[in-house]
Amino acid sequence: MQPLANITPLKPAGAIEVRNVGQVFKTTTQDVVALEDVSLDVKPGRFVVLVGPSGCGKSTLLMMMAGLREQTSGTITISGAPIPKPDPNRVGVVFQEASLFPWLTAEDNVEFPLALRGIPKGERRAKAQDALKLVGLEGFGKRHPHELSGGMKQRVSIARGLVQDPPVLLMDEPFAALDEQTRMTMGDELLRIWAATGKTVVFVTHSLTEAVYLADEVIVMSPRPGRIVDHLQIALPRPRTYEMLSGETFSTLRDRIWRHIRKSA
Amino acid sequence: MSAATLRRLIVIALIALWEILPRAGLIPTLFLPSLSSTLAAGWNEAGEYGHALAVTLYEVAVSMAFACGGGILLGAIVGSLPRPRILIMPMISSLYAVPLVILYPVFTVWLGIGSESKIAFASIYGFLPTMLATAAGIQTIDPQLLLAARSMGATLSQRLIRVIIPAAIPTVLSGLRVGGALVIVGVVVSEMLISSAGIGYLISRYRTILDSPHVFAGVLLVLAMAIAFNAVIRLLERKAAIWQTGTRGGETPVEEIAPGHLQPAT
Repeated sequence: MQPLANITPLKPAGAIEVRNVGQVFKTTTQDVVALEDVSLDVKPGRFVVLVGPSGCGKSTLLMMMAGLREQTSGTITISGAPIPKPDPNRVGVVFQEASLFPWLTAEDNVEFPLALRGIPKGERRAKAQDALKLVGLEGFGKRHPHELSGGMKQRVSIARGLVQDPPVLLMDEPFAALDEQTRMTMGDELLRIWAATGKTVVFVTHSLTEAVYLADEVIVMSPRPGRIVDHLQIALPRPRTYEMLSGETFSTLRDRIWRHIRKSA
Repeated sequence: MSAATLRRLIVIALIALWEILPRAGLIPTLFLPSLSSTLAAGWNEAGEYGHALAVTLYEVAVSMAFACGGGILLGAIVGSLPRPRILIMPMISSLYAVPLVILYPVFTVWLGIGSESKIAFASIYGFLPTMLATAAGIQTIDPQLLLAARSMGATLSQRLIRVIIPAAIPTVLSGLRVGGALVIVGVVVSEMLISSAGIGYLISRYRTILDSPHVFAGVLLVLAMAIAFNAVIRLLERKAAIWQTGTRGGETPVEEIAPGHLQPAT
C-alpha cells in the first residue's frame, strides 16, 4: 500500500468511516429520503458487501464514498480524511459493464486516469501493463473494448480502478451484466486480486450468493429510506471454494439475508 | 461472387448501356445522348465547364464551412444545455420539414443572383441536419462514461476533450455526410433556379435550348463532385469508426448510411 503523505495518519490507509449519513433528494413535488442515519466502519483490507432491495440507496452510499455525490448530512472519511471530490489516488471505482471508453484500447483505458494527471507516457504504459497483468489480461492491451468479452471488459475496468494503487476499491454491481458462469469466474478472480493487493473492497450487489461467497462482512439495507438492518460476519474460511456454496454455514447466512430482504419486499 | 465485385459489374454495365442504348437507337439521343457524345460535348466546352465548376466548388466550399461549422457549434450548445434545447429544438425540427427552397427567391431579392444567395441558401439547407445530428450525438453520450471519467478525477474541460468530443464524433460525421450532401444539392438547385454562373446554371441553360449532350456533361460533373465528397466523408468515418463497429451493432455501418438519409432535392 502506498503511503498517503497529505492525509492525517490517525486512521490507517484504507479505513472507511461512515457517520450518521443521510441523503435527501429534492424533487419538485416532494423530498425523497434515500438514506437515513447510516453509520458504518470498514477496517483496512476488508471485503465488505452491501446488499438490499432495489432503491435502498446502496449505490448512492457507494457514490458518496467515491466523492461522486455529496451527502445531505453526516460525514464520510476515507483513510481518515473526508472525500469532497473523486480522488483516484485514494479510491478506485468500478462500475457496471458500460463504462470503458469504446474508442480507446484496453491499455489506453487503463492509462486514462494517469493521462488526466499528465503522467509521462512511459510511466503510464508501465503502470498499465502491471495492472493488466494483475487482472490476467497480459497481451490484450491493444484490443478495443468491442473486441473483448464481458468478463474481460470488467477486468480492464478493475485494472483501471487499481492503476493508481488506491487503498480502497469501490465496486457498483460490477458483475451484474455478466452471465452466470463468467460471474462465478470473475468472483474468484476478484478474490485472487484482492488477496494479492490487500485493498479494502466495498462491493454492491443484488446477488445474495455472490454477497456471501465474496464477503468478510455483509451489510443488509432496508428499502427507502435506506438504513442498515443487519451486519453479518461471514466466518467461512478462505480461500472460498465452490463446495462451500452447498454447505450449511453458507445457506444459513444466505437465508438470514434473504429473510431481511423478503420482509421489506 | 462478392458483393463488391457485383457492385462494380453493375456500374460497368450501366456505363456500357449508356453508350450502347442511344447508339443503337433504342433511346432517342434527345432523352439520353451517348456517353461518348456527352464527354465530347464537355471536352469541347472545357473552358466554360471549368469556369462553372470553379464557381460551384467555391460556393460549395464556403457553404460547407458555414453549414458544418455553424451546425456543429450550435448543435454542441443545444445538445449540452437543456434550456436552449427546449427553446430551439421544436422550431428546428419543424423547420426541417419545410421545403426550404421556397426561401430561395427571397434570398435572391436580398442578396442578388450572384454567389451570395446560393451560399446563404445552401448553408441553411446543410446546417439543419448537421446541427440536429451533433445535438443528438452529444445528448446520447452514455452518462456512465461521464460518471466514470469524473470518478477518475477528470475536470470539466478534460471531460469535454477526452470524453464528450470523441464520443460524439461518429454521430457528428453522419450528420456531416447528410449536411454536406444537402449543401451540394442546395448550391446546384439554386444555380438552376435563378443565377448567372455555375454548373447548375449551365445545365439549366443548355436544357432550354434542348442541347442534351451539354446538359448531361453538367450532370456528370455534379455526379463526380458528389462522389468525391462521399469518398472524403468515408475516409473520415473509417478513421473514427474503429470502435463504432462493435458498439453500435452494425458490421460496416459506413456504407449503408447514405441512401436512407438523403432527402429529395427540394
